[in-house]
Amino acid sequence: MGARERMVARHEDWSALRASETARMTEACTQCGACAEACPMLPYAPAAQGAAAPELVRGVLDALAGGPSDPAALAWIAACTRTGSCNAACPEAVNPMLMLRLAKWRANETGALARRDASETMSRVKVFARLGFTEEEQREWL
Amino acid sequence: MAVTENLFWYGCNMTRHGEIIRLSQRLLEAVGVGAAPVGGPGACCGSPKESTPRIAEGMADRTMDKFNSWARGVPSPEGRESAVQKPGVITWCPSCHMNLDDFMGQSKAQDFDSRHLCEALWERRDALAPLLTHPVKARFLVDRHVGFHAQVPVNDIIPGLLSMIPGAEHVDHKLRGASYMCFGLANVPGALPDHLRATLDAVRESGADTLVTIFHSCHREMVGLERDHGVRVLNWVHLLAEGMGWDYTDDYKTWRNAPDKLAAIGPDRVAEAGEVAVRKLVLPELERPRPV
Repeated sequence: MGARERMVARHEDWSALRASETARMTEACTQCGACAEACPMLPYAPAAQGAAAPELVRGVLDALAGGPSDPAALAWIAACTRTGSCNAACPEAVNPMLMLRLAKWRANETGALARRDASETMSRVKVFARLGFTEEEQREWL
Repeated sequence: MAVTENLFWYGCNMTRHGEIIRLSQRLLEAVGVGAAPVGGPGACCGSPKESTPRIAEGMADRTMDKFNSWARGVPSPEGRESAVQKPGVITWCPSCHMNLDDFMGQSKAQDFDSRHLCEALWERRDALAPLLTHPVKARFLVDRHVGFHAQVPVNDIIPGLLSMIPGAEHVDHKLRGASYMCFGLANVPGALPDHLRATLDAVRESGADTLVTIFHSCHREMVGLERDHGVRVLNWVHLLAEGMGWDYTDDYKTWRNAPDKLAAIGPDRVAEAGEVAVRKLVLPELERPRPV
């Protein structure tokens, strides 16, 4: 690579990354609830209405650990759109945005949250490419 | 993939907007940045399959291997502007950009640099400004979201770039949509209609005549406003192209707003793409209900 510096991987794979981040978040989070209080998406999570912010966070941590969590926390996780308002509010630099994302993945795996149906996504991408790209562009760009 | 100093990684859902890919490549070239477009299912960050992380990881790993292999094939930096500059991947999609930073580059060695398209153009704004010679009369409001700005200051850079176009006037507004683009809102009941209504209110309050989208998923959701609410809707790359005096056609907007979508696409293109596939996969999207 000569003068080029290669950026090295910090984790063996995504599972290792998730395990490492889960351990870090679980230890760092004080369950103060500031992330939930700052979230603009909570009004779109009906089952989370009325739940105390620290309770919501406890439910997210439970989902992150592979537990069943609870309807309020799962509704909040499902409504997360990675706005990032939580990260700005977090006093412990937990990265709650990533915490909810990883909790969603875990809840998808355990079945606590239904998976989004993306079965036709790539087929649709290909048809749009055939509609909008020239043959040469399809060869070069895809 | 072509051996250029950079790749323009447009993502997967951008296949709906071929003209934005072409214009982006042309803009980069105009300021001295060679970049070969790459995307689609063969260069996926895994985001579409995120609810099955094992599959998402496999797709993302394949993309990293592909990019690393490309980067190793780029000639040595001798004679290039910076002797230590690595080959670069220029991103478009915020999902791809964040996945590269948060996951792909954390679990795979990376032989290339990365930056967003707007950053690449902003770095070369001194070269871009003299090329923007075609006046565009527009009072434009930018559809801004909060979620990606912490990674790349898109909400500042894009109004800055567009304000270099003679005749174009940025009208500011405090509105910042949730999520990092409209795609996220579309999956949460009620969130997208609320954002579209708030955006229309912001257009009225600011006196804008043009609404500028930043990302593709926002463009998909916003183009319908042009037909029903009398505000011109462009992507930021479209507006820069107009400032350059370049022609383009926004097919997706035409199709979405046409009363007969198949007729608007045209029988030849439908036949070439496969009519069964177009009816099954494209028409439902173009005909989906309008949230506002």
